[in-house]
Amino acid sequence: MNLPWILLFLPLVVAAVCQLVLRKSAIVPLVATASAVATLVISFLLLGKTGTSAFDWATIGEFHLRIGIQLDRLSTGMMIVVTGVGALVHIFSLAYMKDDEGKARYFTGLAFFMFSMTGIVLADNFIMTFIFWELVGFSSYLLIGHWYQKESAADAAKKAFLCNRVGDFGFMIGILMLWGITGTLTFGDMQIPAAVSTATLSAAVLCIFCGAVGKSAQLPLHVWLPDAMEGPTPVSALIHAATMVAAGVYMLFRVQTSLGFEVFEELQASTVIAWTGGITSLLAALMATQQDDIKRVLAYSTLSQLGYMVMAVGFVHGEAGMFHLFTHAWFKALLFLGSGAVIYACHHEQDIWKMGGLRKKMPITTIAFGAGCLALIAVPGTSGFFSKELILDAAHEAGSPLFWIAAFVAVLTPFYMTRLFVVAFLGKPRSENAGHAHEVGPLMWVPLALLAVLAIFSGYSFINPLSPALPHHAGEFHLNLVAIVSLAALVIGVGTGWILYAGKDKDPVTIPLFRNRFYIDGIYDNFIVRYFQDALVAIVHFFDELVINGLMVGGLSRGAASFGNLFRKVQSGELQGYAFACGLGAILVIYFMVFL
Amino acid sequence: MLALLVFLPILAVLAILLGAPARLTAVSASVANLALGLFAAFSWKCSCWSLSLPVLEKPALHLAFGFPDGMSVIMVLLTVIVTLAAVLSGKAPEGREKLYFGSSLLISGGALGAFAATDLFFFYAFHELALIPTFLMIGMLGRGDRKEAAWKITIYLGLGSIILLAGLVWLANLTGTYDIAGMIAAKGSVDPAAQKSIAALLLVGFGTLVSLFPFHSWAAPAYASAPAPVAMLHAGVLKKFGLYGLLRIAIPLVPEGLNAWIIPLLVLLLGNILWVGYVTISQKRLDTMLGNSSVMHMGYIFLAIAALIAFPENPLARPAAVLLMFAHGVSIALLFGLADRIERTTGSLDLSDLGGLAKSAPKLAFVFGIAAMASIGLPGLANFSGEVLVFLAAFKSYDATAGLGPVQIACILSIWGVVISAVYMLRAYRKIFQGPSVKSTEFAADLTLADRIPAVLLVLALFAVGLYPNLLLNLLK
Amino acid sequence: MASLNDYLLVSGLLFASGLFGVVLRRNIIIVFMCLELMLSAANLSLVAFSRFNTVNGLPDYNGQMLVFFVITVAAAEVAVGLAIIVALYRARQTIHTDELTSLKG
Repeated sequence: MNLPWILLFLPLVVAAVCQLVLRKSAIVPLVATASAVATLVISFLLLGKTGTSAFDWATIGEFHLRIGIQLDRLSTGMMIVVTGVGALVHIFSLAYMKDDEGKARYFTGLAFFMFSMTGIVLADNFIMTFIFWELVGFSSYLLIGHWYQKESAADAAKKAFLCNRVGDFGFMIGILMLWGITGTLTFGDMQIPAAVSTATLSAAVLCIFCGAVGKSAQLPLHVWLPDAMEGPTPVSALIHAATMVAAGVYMLFRVQTSLGFEVFEELQASTVIAWTGGITSLLAALMATQQDDIKRVLAYSTLSQLGYMVMAVGFVHGEAGMFHLFTHAWFKALLFLGSGAVIYACHHEQDIWKMGGLRKKMPITTIAFGAGCLALIAVPGTSGFFSKELILDAAHEAGSPLFWIAAFVAVLTPFYMTRLFVVAFLGKPRSENAGHAHEVGPLMWVPLALLAVLAIFSGYSFINPLSPALPHHAGEFHLNLVAIVSLAALVIGVGTGWILYAGKDKDPVTIPLFRNRFYIDGIYDNFIVRYFQDALVAIVHFFDELVINGLMVGGLSRGAASFGNLFRKVQSGELQGYAFACGLGAILVIYFMVFL
Repeated sequence: MLALLVFLPILAVLAILLGAPARLTAVSASVANLALGLFAAFSWKCSCWSLSLPVLEKPALHLAFGFPDGMSVIMVLLTVIVTLAAVLSGKAPEGREKLYFGSSLLISGGALGAFAATDLFFFYAFHELALIPTFLMIGMLGRGDRKEAAWKITIYLGLGSIILLAGLVWLANLTGTYDIAGMIAAKGSVDPAAQKSIAALLLVGFGTLVSLFPFHSWAAPAYASAPAPVAMLHAGVLKKFGLYGLLRIAIPLVPEGLNAWIIPLLVLLLGNILWVGYVTISQKRLDTMLGNSSVMHMGYIFLAIAALIAFPENPLARPAAVLLMFAHGVSIALLFGLADRIERTTGSLDLSDLGGLAKSAPKLAFVFGIAAMASIGLPGLANFSGEVLVFLAAFKSYDATAGLGPVQIACILSIWGVVISAVYMLRAYRKIFQGPSVKSTEFAADLTLADRIPAVLLVLALFAVGLYPNLLLNLLK
Repeated sequence: MASLNDYLLVSGLLFASGLFGVVLRRNIIIVFMCLELMLSAANLSLVAFSRFNTVNGLPDYNGQMLVFFVITVAAAEVAVGLAIIVALYRARQTIHTDELTSLKG
């Protein structure tokens, strides 16, 4: 059992060595990349292995908190995704970040992220999951804020961390409640006692779900993910598309398998989860249709696809969600890296209306990006088609109105991706930067090509052993209502997109509601943060000054002072007053002595 | 041996008064103490550490030191670590070296004496001894409204100590001895009616010393105006005396009495976490923010104590409280030390005057980042292991079929504090280190080698306990 | 012949006028003289008690002894007191009690 421990700690050792020993040395990127490739090799060696291994992290009498590794189909499959995308992103970054002065810091951060993400995947208990859950949040904070001198990047990093913290607030409560219910923190040992009411269990599961809402950026905590695009583009591909944001779905599925699917079928919480996912996927897709920044389109698309996965988990078809997670990781990483190549070639221009005509100048990138688009819009035969089909199946099977929402999202997805592809790659260059673009070097296009292959083929059954969870009928195709609906959705979406956007130089449609993201960010900034939190802070501060400092402390000190003043009055300094008091005193003494 | 540990700083103070070079003496005494403390951690079960000298026949008083359990060892360890960091990172004003380093050592000696004493009289007296130099240093060498802050802390802590003294004397009279172990052995003589009143006196007395809400308003101004070593030593070490006292004396002696006050205690600790938490968010200066944050984090330790009171067999609560006391002591000392360093290099601690410091002082930004993340409770750093154990301790007595008890509800509310502390810490980090550089930070000096030694010492302590909490938990077995 | 009560009445009147002088007058010299007046009142009552308290047909001389002591001490007191007043006048240029209020808190 040494290999999994090496897999877990190698990136940490590399990060520590890079930070403390190598510092700004030029070999840091190479060391980090080598470690990422090594972890990929180890992940392949571990495929299909099962077993657990743990050591005590904190021991109090009979109580143990462990750092433990659980190897099974789910974790080894997920490790392939993490290390596979991770290794490719490292290689891509070698070229993308080669002129950045903070590149040593960047690669150290990436190595640290690989460590944290590996920890989540391999964890065999809740506390360990929570530990690494926080650590991925922290590494994402570091990487989003890579260009920390830029106000927007620093703000986005802070926002991401805080949104995640809000989710973790619920997550921690959920962990504690579930610990109280089952008496254990280890996934493998969890049993629900019969005496526990479903309401209590539902509450616990919903609290756990809060963690996933934060990490997987579901409504209402989704606002951090689009802002997180301030980070370098490879980071967006690795953390904010393929792996970390999917950790919420992974964790939910892990909880589902350990508590048992039948438990979840009876819980109200499952319905809430499904609806949260469905509404997130709808709203995010609507927002994506009106974004101009290439990375933001992809970010909202990620939100929308994560909503699909969460919805599948809510229908207690977690395996469909995990399968979509698996295929989505490849094609969304591809799309992000492709957009990174485009941004790099266009001298950091991110507005799609200032691109155009890249098809001729960057043929390899265009083909790879196109392959990613095909998978995302679920063209039959590509990986995305199979996995999305399973989710739609699950929704249809549940007989929920969510099926029609999901089908509508399936119209929107091809629509905005067609818009993106047509505007950015076809037509004529619309700016000087786009005109001077040329194909990127092999360090960048080789990862793209590899990902393009995976984007198309990762849905077929020969890839089964790699996938973390695969339902038995994956990769098959039946012509039924679901298939017809999704094909129709594809045709409608692509058709409308093509008709509206082919050959246009500026956006023919403007829907302010979608463009401004339903004003949710504005509501948060202006209402919750400014009026609610800041007002609360101001009120508390005011009362702290008034009540604690003013009344209690001030009252005490004023009381002492006025008591003193009272006696000060007596001490008038007038001789005769004293004499009078003296005489009066003598008379009183005589009176009391003689007459009483 | 333990007497040597306690009196070494005090002897060093005498040497400084007699004309020994102040800084050198202070540093070497602290280094020797750190070595002794580490040695003690390995061999504390040996009886050679104990000492008992009769001082008075009637009432029987002994100058007695010893390690009754691992809790004292950990507190002594915390003290020696923070002391060395404090004397290393402080920079005395010209001509006041004697006062500056002498007072720092005296605080350290008093704290060590209080944590190591096994006699009630010396337990109390050593703490008072440590308070005097604290007041003096704030009043004479402080910044800003130092007079007012010094008065405030003097009055508050003086009052708290008197209330505490009343409770302790009452207890000693009922049990008929000043030996703490003897008192605990005779705890049957404390009748229930007296328990309730004594528990209230001890809660208010110890609580004031730990800045329990609403007796907290001395803390932030005092720490803001105190010289760096005093802020580090008081917030990091001396303040823990109250919590230590609750765990060492109040809980073993008056458990039922404390249990009667559990609901008020829970409300007050939520006041610490939520109320003071929001007050902290509203701070505009780094030093007052850190002062308030240290008040806020006391709430979590009180939560562990409340969990222990509500459920006396709780195995997790005491280790959780001790672990968090250690972690908080180290992290807040590091933060105060670095804040002082920032002020020396930029001339301001006003958050609106700062920005982009990470560019000119990357090492400072790195270390401060670690300290801030520790304070937020990032896993891998000591505070997280303490906090998570506190939460688990609060839920240890949770019965899923019966629903949430008061301790669990308080725990759930207090977890929101984790979000609050992230809000103010990240806001401060964002304002000070990130964003574009401003005039005051453009040419700011980074940490020098001499600055790094104390910082590394504290960071190592944070990492050691954070990565492997069993290091400390094994001492508590 | 005058009775004891007559003597005591005169003594009381003397004492009262002395006390009023002490309390009401502002000039320290006058206050001082009024103090003497109060001492004389005490002396008068002592002598009167001595005269009317006969032991074996003779007055009780203990009371008259005390009067001599009082007169001696009063003489010394006047010497010291006047010296103080002179010193006070030199220091403050006034002997009015209204203006001597440096003990006011």
